Amino acid sequence: MKFRDKTILVTGASRGIGAALAKAFAAEGGLVIVNYRRSEAAAQAVVEACRAAGGQALAIAADVTVPEEVAAMVAVIGEEAGRIDAVVNNAFAPYVFDPDDRARFWETPWSAYQAQVDGALKATYHVCQAVLPLMRQRGRGAIVNMASDLVARPSIAYHDYTTAKAALIGFSRNLATELGPLGIRVNCVAPGLVYPTDASRGTREAVKDMLIAQTPLGRIATPEDVAGPVLFLASDWSGFVTGQTLHVDGGLVMS
Amino acid sequence: MTEFAGHLPGLSTEEVEWRVLDFAAWGESVQVSVPVLSEAQSLALAARVRENARAYLKTRSVAQIVATLDKAVARLLDRDDPWRRKAEALLPIVTGYDAETVRLGLSGYLRTFRAPQLQRFLAEDFANPAVLDAFQPAMKGGFTRAHGPELLLHVWAGNVPGLPLWSLISGLLVKAGTVGKVASAEPLLAGWFARVLGEIDPRMGECLAIVWWKGGDADSEQVWLDQADTVVAFGGNAALTAIRDRAPVTARFLAHGHKIGFGLVSAAALDTRRAGPLARLVAHDVMRYEQQGCYAPQMLFVERGGKISPRDFAEQVSRELAGFARRHPRRALSVAEAAGVASWRNAEEMRAFDGEGRVVLGDAADPWSVVLVEEAEPLAPSGLNRTLKIVAVDRLDDVIPLIAPFRAFLQSAAVAATPEELFRIAALLGEAGVTRICAFGRMTAPEAGWHNDGRFNLLDLVTITEIEQSAELAAEGFADYVD
Repeated sequence: MKFRDKTILVTGASRGIGAALAKAFAAEGGLVIVNYRRSEAAAQAVVEACRAAGGQALAIAADVTVPEEVAAMVAVIGEEAGRIDAVVNNAFAPYVFDPDDRARFWETPWSAYQAQVDGALKATYHVCQAVLPLMRQRGRGAIVNMASDLVARPSIAYHDYTTAKAALIGFSRNLATELGPLGIRVNCVAPGLVYPTDASRGTREAVKDMLIAQTPLGRIATPEDVAGPVLFLASDWSGFVTGQTLHVDGGLVMS
Repeated sequence: MTEFAGHLPGLSTEEVEWRVLDFAAWGESVQVSVPVLSEAQSLALAARVRENARAYLKTRSVAQIVATLDKAVARLLDRDDPWRRKAEALLPIVTGYDAETVRLGLSGYLRTFRAPQLQRFLAEDFANPAVLDAFQPAMKGGFTRAHGPELLLHVWAGNVPGLPLWSLISGLLVKAGTVGKVASAEPLLAGWFARVLGEIDPRMGECLAIVWWKGGDADSEQVWLDQADTVVAFGGNAALTAIRDRAPVTARFLAHGHKIGFGLVSAAALDTRRAGPLARLVAHDVMRYEQQGCYAPQMLFVERGGKISPRDFAEQVSRELAGFARRHPRRALSVAEAAGVASWRNAEEMRAFDGEGRVVLGDAADPWSVVLVEEAEPLAPSGLNRTLKIVAVDRLDDVIPLIAPFRAFLQSAAVAATPEELFRIAALLGEAGVTRICAFGRMTAPEAGWHNDGRFNLLDLVTITEIEQSAELAAEGFADYVD
């Protein structure tokens, strides 16, 4: 029960990796804030699953790219829990990974970059700003930002998505430097292709086979595979780790 | 493991009754046997020390005494020396301080007692230290000589290892027959130092004794008070009053009471580059010896207007204390100490609930505690054991009225400011009663030759004998070469 009496905010937790993370934190006894934007029913299902797993959970709707909504969400957390021990910035702008029909660079408008930067970086920025006072007062906290192994190895050039994730890694390193002296750690988890999620549902078998062929551990990641590394970086097991990017892709990227 | 405390020249272990004090920390334990002397034994020991000092110590030159002390200090600085090894092994168990704190602290203290530092110590108080050896010509005419006490009694308190050495060495430098009463909280180091001295110079070793009686045992204390012509005592005001009231009126009584150290941080020191290292130094002073020394900071006044706000700085100090909690873990607290820390923190938390402008940082379970207060608040003791209150002020000068009412408790203040600010604020601090102004990071390590509580540590111990010019001139009249 590594997260008993701890409060963890997971953004974009109504489905996919976020939902798996919420359940994993709950199984370790944590109070999980299940943030979602629109999928209320799905979020409630995650809350139920968290309670069944032995933890506590609370669903809060907020568009994390909107500062006011983030502030309102964190205010509720402050009232309900009085603390935030860990934040997982998992939400990201909708994106379709389609290697067969991806936009090449000369087909990618700046607005596509902007959308991804807003989804990955702006959202994380607002959430970090909002939770910081609660973490600073207690002189501790862990922030885990979800990046992608595509930054280290763009097997397929998803320009806008991967560039935004690269920015997120740079953002996280700077934040780690700034917040380390205040006792707050910032790390990234960079999964490879995770299947199944809504975003990867359409990925063709041929693509998966290509990745599997190059992956030492010989398969594609599941949402549950991501949970262990995230929980590690959110817990004091990684108390002396900050500014790192942990690749969770079966060894496809080694750095 | 049993260790015998004290140093009793002329008395064998078998003749003396011993009481066992049990100590345990860091998963180890040690029994320390402290001597319980009968009145007759105490009287005989006092006479012996007094006589040995008269016959030997007072015939030695200050330079010879410095050389012997230097050798003893060198032994204790040598990490391969058996005494040093014993100190590093046992003092963490006895005092509860972590091994690294003991090791670094011991070396830090002892370094201030090497020969050059001892010479500086002498020079601070005596324009011509030879005045301790023989009559020296005086500026006003005539001749002057300084005599140390025949029997100087030290009554030590607390558990900071090495602290008794300050006064012990002061007494030896002025050639006093010396008896030191160790505190039950750290009964060992002074005795070891005496025995090392005895190994280097056996006759010098017989000029001092290290004894023990239970704190508050008025009968045992009285025996010694009656023998001493000078008494140097450390402790709380109640204990000091009790000793003073029983000391003979003819004895010189020098008291060092409890003090409350504090620090001032100018806005000039608070930019994003320099605030971090400064926070670490502040935390260091709070951590070292768990604020048990008189010079430890218990409160910090931080000026607004810097790039780093007092609140930001408080968070950084709190964080640095978190780092030190790993590197130098806090010693296990007694029930009373833990209750003291908890009640201090609880009271601050209650006040934080009541009003704005007060933040208690960290968790209740943390082995440190930092409170930030946005409104001016007068100097007050913290809960000790790594608890610190940080008070935000608009101007450094605003601090003076906050500390001035507590003159009797003022001693050390650390200042981080520009040179102009340092000298201006130092003048005001001095007027208010502060006697020592140092840098952060140095609060628990006074420099060689410092004036403890603003007093002349050596000069206060001696009595001056003057040959007035009239006597000198009159003697000329009786010389056989007189015309």
